Amino acid sequence: MKIKKFFSGKRDSESSKLVLYLIFPIFIMFLVLLQTFNLTVLNGKKYETQSENNRIVSRTIYPTRGLIYDTQDKLLVENIASSQLNLVPERSIDTLKKIKEIADLLNLEKSFLLDIYEKQIKKPRYPFQPITLAKSLNDEQIALFSVSSEKFKGFSVETGLVRSVVNKKSLAHVLGYMGYSELNDVNKSSNFISGNQIGISGIEKTYNDQLSGIVGTRIEEKDVSGKFVRVLSEDNAESGKDLKLSIDLDFQNFLIPFFEGQKGALVALEPKSGLIKALISSPAYDPNIFNSSSSLAEIQSIFSDDEGPLFNRATMGNYPPASTIKPILGLAALDEGIVDWNTIIQDDGEFYVEGDPRPYTGWKKDGHGKVDLEKAIVESSDIYFYSTAYDLTIKRLEPFLNKFGFGGKTNIDAEESNGLVPNEKWKLGYIGEFWFKGDTINLGIGQGYMLSTPIQISQAIAVIANRGEIIKPRLVEEIDKSPTELESLGKINLKDDTNWEKIEKSMIEVINAPNGTANNIKDTRYVIAGKTGTAQIKSYEDQEYEDIRENPFFRDHALFVGYAPIPDPELLILVIIENGESGSRVAAPIAKAGFDFYLTKNE
Amino acid sequence: MSRNPLEFSLSSRMIKPNRWLNQDWLVLFLIISLVSFGLMMIYSASGSVEMVLRQGIFAVTGIVFMIYLSFSDYQRLLPIYLNVFWIGIFFLLVVLVIPSDVSTRRWIDLGIFGFQPSELMRCVLTISAAAFLSRNPRIIFRDWMIVIGVSFFSFFLVFIQPDLGTAIMVLISGILPVLISGFPVSFQIIGIVIILLSTPFIWMNLLDYQKQRVLTFFDPNSDPLGTGWNIIQSQIAVGSGSLFGKGFLQGTQSQLNFVPESHTDFIFAVVAEEFGLFGVMGLFLVYLLLAFRLVMIARNSNFLFVKLVAGTFIFLLLTYVAFNTAMVVGILPVVGMPLPFLSQGGTALIINMIMIGIILSFRRTA
Repeated sequence: MKIKKFFSGKRDSESSKLVLYLIFPIFIMFLVLLQTFNLTVLNGKKYETQSENNRIVSRTIYPTRGLIYDTQDKLLVENIASSQLNLVPERSIDTLKKIKEIADLLNLEKSFLLDIYEKQIKKPRYPFQPITLAKSLNDEQIALFSVSSEKFKGFSVETGLVRSVVNKKSLAHVLGYMGYSELNDVNKSSNFISGNQIGISGIEKTYNDQLSGIVGTRIEEKDVSGKFVRVLSEDNAESGKDLKLSIDLDFQNFLIPFFEGQKGALVALEPKSGLIKALISSPAYDPNIFNSSSSLAEIQSIFSDDEGPLFNRATMGNYPPASTIKPILGLAALDEGIVDWNTIIQDDGEFYVEGDPRPYTGWKKDGHGKVDLEKAIVESSDIYFYSTAYDLTIKRLEPFLNKFGFGGKTNIDAEESNGLVPNEKWKLGYIGEFWFKGDTINLGIGQGYMLSTPIQISQAIAVIANRGEIIKPRLVEEIDKSPTELESLGKINLKDDTNWEKIEKSMIEVINAPNGTANNIKDTRYVIAGKTGTAQIKSYEDQEYEDIRENPFFRDHALFVGYAPIPDPELLILVIIENGESGSRVAAPIAKAGFDFYLTKNE
Repeated sequence: MSRNPLEFSLSSRMIKPNRWLNQDWLVLFLIISLVSFGLMMIYSASGSVEMVLRQGIFAVTGIVFMIYLSFSDYQRLLPIYLNVFWIGIFFLLVVLVIPSDVSTRRWIDLGIFGFQPSELMRCVLTISAAAFLSRNPRIIFRDWMIVIGVSFFSFFLVFIQPDLGTAIMVLISGILPVLISGFPVSFQIIGIVIILLSTPFIWMNLLDYQKQRVLTFFDPNSDPLGTGWNIIQSQIAVGSGSLFGKGFLQGTQSQLNFVPESHTDFIFAVVAEEFGLFGVMGLFLVYLLLAFRLVMIARNSNFLFVKLVAGTFIFLLLTYVAFNTAMVVGILPVVGMPLPFLSQGGTALIINMIMIGIILSFRRTA
């Protein structure tokens, strides 16, 4: 027989070797058959029921998001139970059509639900993991659903947690709101898996990793009727960490009414520690609309509001710092040896550059007469600073301002914008023009192209209070009961250290001297050092000043920044009121009220 | 007679029309059965007609190649066979060099389909090794060492793609001709010792996901949603298939996408779920019958080249079947290995058919 000859194989050593080797895979195949027999015949019943009921269900266990408190342990953000509409896409048929139908039934917006579905379905998901389509369903919607739930296979109403801001609008910009991550965020961490909301702005965003905790998973076995039998494996969720903010809710709530009907921002911080006690951006919005509402119209009305309620003016709004940076420009002139404390400059209200007939006018038409540095700060002489800036030139001015953090970021634990300190290169690149001497002169009073955020001006003025130490501003005081650390971003050394104190003295006189621009907020109980500012947003050359004032949107911004009490400052306040016109009349009194409240609260 | 379509064949031997009927009909029948069955299973697993059509196009292309090559004269092609492995090396280098947005570089994207050079390497390495070892009447020891060297180099190129499963198969496809051609037993033992000693080194160089697969194999519940999920679900699929299966398109595990990769590496789970233990036995029988038939061809030939190519291919065929199915039923770790002729994937299918075609050509010239 052929086969016999085949296996005898004496004459053909290769073939017999091959057959020898083939024993190996054939043996494994035999094992596979044994295992298949084991699975099908010996354990067949078990696997049959398991498969019949799709009995293995994986569930994502969402961690409880950390709570947020204010400095006095008042609860600011919590998690509340809400009824939500869930969908298990594997169980539903013709999902898109069903979503539209259910939106009609529950009176929800179709495009909103479809948008959520399409975003979530593309993210990493475990099989049979539900997608939450809508939150905060009311009793009527729940009733409507339960009546016709038969029609909607795969859909269910379940209880879940939503984020809820206790004080609605008052800390909107500090706290921020929640939303679904964009697709390209998905790979960042396991917390970005489908269904898990993340912080989109504010503390919710910057501290998302700490707040969110770690997503867990649980594989459950279910019986024929879908009832839970046992947990096959569990990977526990880890709750998020609680945060304690340095914000003082009472203080914040005290200050907010001053911004009623106005656009503007306020920063109040401890200069020594950088801890922020109040942070206002007006107008504000209600973060709960984003956190839990299922109404697209409500959300869109916030997005489309012209006044930009979502925008955090305190850390992202770019304004000309105007006269508030005159103390720093004074330090620059001193440090570079352009002036000393006795240098006198004649201020007749106009300043001329050689070969340019156009005058650079000061805010006071007839000028301040003979002006030294102290008087220039106290009365806010523009001519004095035009002159020193002209002598300093942009080459020396720009690096000095950069040292104070202008043109960069403060590193605050919130979203913030870069400011801008212009230079030749920037102007050529962005404006397409060469640098004029006039640009340096405008920079001398914090105008022209220069832009800075309120938090940036606050940080820079705090440098004077700290005698050169640059402190990182921060909103979070404790993470899970452990304090965050004070962080110094560097120290500015002046050639003459006494200039810190002397410039502060000038700033005290801004309030205390009868001719000071903020003399209206003088207080006998404590000493304030500060500086007013009035930021022009419309060039005077274009139109007559009076005409400009007719349009409220072109009116100057009012600024005040100051710290108190001297000699041991506890608080620095910066106020900016958009189109408020006068720093001393509009902005300074708000800061004064803040000092009164904060410095006398324990009396 | 003069209008023979194979006139331009590389083969110089004139093929008479009646030779057309001189086919190995059994092999042809088995291959076509396997591929058709595979198409059914792919449809059942994916529900995608497009996917079935694509695979069908590959299958038809493969069958054309197979029949064409079965008429070639391998003896005249030996000089070419000796050097074809360079093509494989070239493409392996290309796939490593061309930029890719994923961290694993296994494919060359040819627009319509992706081409997997490691599969090509498996085929050309065997052919070249066999041609190299059989070019002289006596094999000298240096020849074996050269083949072993080239094999490890090829293994390394695939291993760093990284694709451990295919890398091992590439290694086997080069080493097996050495072993079958009479490599001394004492050296085989030394080789095994070296491999065992180098295992810790290989383990260190495995990627996390590869380590995870091996670890999961020892404790499937340790990572139930990663690789453990696959094993748990495919076991349920196999187990619930019972003796006769749930019937074509009735496999709930695969239909509901519980079993991941059910149209590629885990297609055996669909077979078991829908056709049961008897279906599995039937499938194994077809593979064994195919292997047996090819062994007969090798056996009947007097040429070493034939025995080496056929032997290696048969061994690899059965090893793929064994490893793939063992992985699906959970007795071996999950490594990326397709089930020959059934799993979706064009390169492997065409390469396997080319190999069959070459082996069939031995039958004619024996």
